[in-house]
Parts: sequence; structure tokens; C-alpha cells
Amino acid sequence: MTKQIETYLRALKRQLWLRGVFDPDTFAEVESHLLEAVEAGIRRGLSEEESERQALERFGSVKVVSLAFEKERNSLMQNLLLVFAVLAGLFSAYVDSRPNWDDTGILVGGILLISGLLTLLGHRRPWLIALAVGIWIPVHEIYKSHDLMMLIVLLIPLIGAYGGWLVRLGIQKTFHPA
Amino acid sequence: MAGMLGEALKGHLDLLLLSILANGPAHGYAIIESLRARSEGVFDLPEGTVYPALHRLENQRLLKSNWSEDSGRRKRTYQLTPKGQQALNTRQDEWLKFSRAVNATVGL
Repeated sequence: MTKQIETYLRALKRQLWLRGVFDPDTFAEVESHLLEAVEAGIRRGLSEEESERQALERFGSVKVVSLAFEKERNSLMQNLLLVFAVLAGLFSAYVDSRPNWDDTGILVGGILLISGLLTLLGHRRPWLIALAVGIWIPVHEIYKSHDLMMLIVLLIPLIGAYGGWLVRLGIQKTFHPA
Repeated sequence: MAGMLGEALKGHLDLLLLSILANGPAHGYAIIESLRARSEGVFDLPEGTVYPALHRLENQRLLKSNWSEDSGRRKRTYQLTPKGQQALNTRQDEWLKFSRAVNATVGL
């Protein structure tokens, strides 16, 4: 494998990792495709360098290809992250409702961390993650005390979710493909 | 024109991929070459964007894949499942109705 293909594969792998695609079979498949395309070009009479250039051009830029993988992966991944957010939110509401539970700091930290982690891992709607994680405690409290001010508690998962989302955007911008 | 074709193609990519694999198992490179050849070069997507679609069809159990070794290189071969064949039949019928309606509307 030559430098052009190696450089492309390294950049693609990095972008796919950043977008949450870790499947080694995908990388092997892309590599196999590119090598086959280069060989076909050489058989058509192209120089190795020109054949690689054309193979990479036809395959698509790192950005286009990684976005296509991200888009296809998203529906399943987004749903899984959302289900996890709902489960984590229900668990935190259950813990909060225990009469002997009085460590609010740990609960707030946990909600911040989970909300941030789920958007950092790739969920594209921070507000939805914040609602899924954070709505259950206020709902329970409003049910008990009819105090709508409890909705202010939603600020905690909102801060966590948007924090994680911003960190992910920062990482993607830092390693933005050429 | 190329942009419009690209957008239109994305909407029908599943049908095209299933149709190509109805002829028998093939690996990614061969599927993409077949797509280009059968359309006489009109369907010319960035090749790398076809793989996510193949993976999605596999996740939907419309395709299955196997790895094999060919000339010292590992290759992933895709083939249609019975569910994929059913999906293909349904989408072909839908396409036929759609294309007839469009042709009748535009007067072709």
C-alpha cells in the first residue's frame, strides 16, 4: 500500500472513530476496495500514482464518506442512546425518591455526567437527551407537591447535555478532514 | 444535472443494490462497478457512500455477508436473503407504478 492510500485510510479511520464507527470490518472493507480499484486502474494502463489518485477521487473525500457512515449509523445509535438516557433518568428519579437518600450532590453530578456523556458519544439532540435524563425527577416532585418550579431542575441535564455536545463539536473541528 | 441525479439516486439506492445482488453474490467493488456499468455511467455516486447503505441493508436482514480470501486479500461478499428478495419484489412493483405515473404525467 502506498502513501496516498495510507494517508487517506488513516484520515478516514480517525473521522469514523470521531463519528462513533469503530467496526474493524468496515476499515478492512474500505482498504480492500481501494486496493482493488488501484489494481483495476493499473490493468487499464494507468500509472500506479494516477490509478491511486483516481481510485481515491471516485471513492469520495474523507468528509463525504465519513458523513455517509455517520448518517446510516445514526438511527440505530441515536435510539440506543435515547433508551439509555430514559433508563438512567428513571433510575435517578427512583434513587431521589428513596426516603433515606440525601446526597443531592452525587445525584446532580451523575445527571450532569450521564447527559454529557450521551451527547459526547454522538446523540445529535442535546435537548432531547436532557429531557430523557432529567424530566423524571421534576415530574415526580410536581406530582407530589404541585410545584412547577421543580422544572428548574431540568437546567442540570441541559447543562450536561449541551456541554458534551460542545466538546464533541470541538473535537470534530480540531480533527476536521482536509 | 449531476446534483439532481445524485439526489434522485440516493432515494432509490436500496432498490438498485438489491437488484444488482438478485443476480448473485458480489463484493462491494463489483456491486459498485455493476451499478455504474448497468446505468452506462449515469449512476456515479462517490463509491465510499455505497458501503453504509450495504451495511444498513444487512442490518435490516435484507442482505447477509461473508468474508473470504481472494488473491491474498480479504473480501466481504454480500448476498440477498429471502427477506431481501421479498423486499426487492415489493420495491420493484412500487417503482413500476411510480415510473408509469410519472411518465403518464409528463407525457412520455
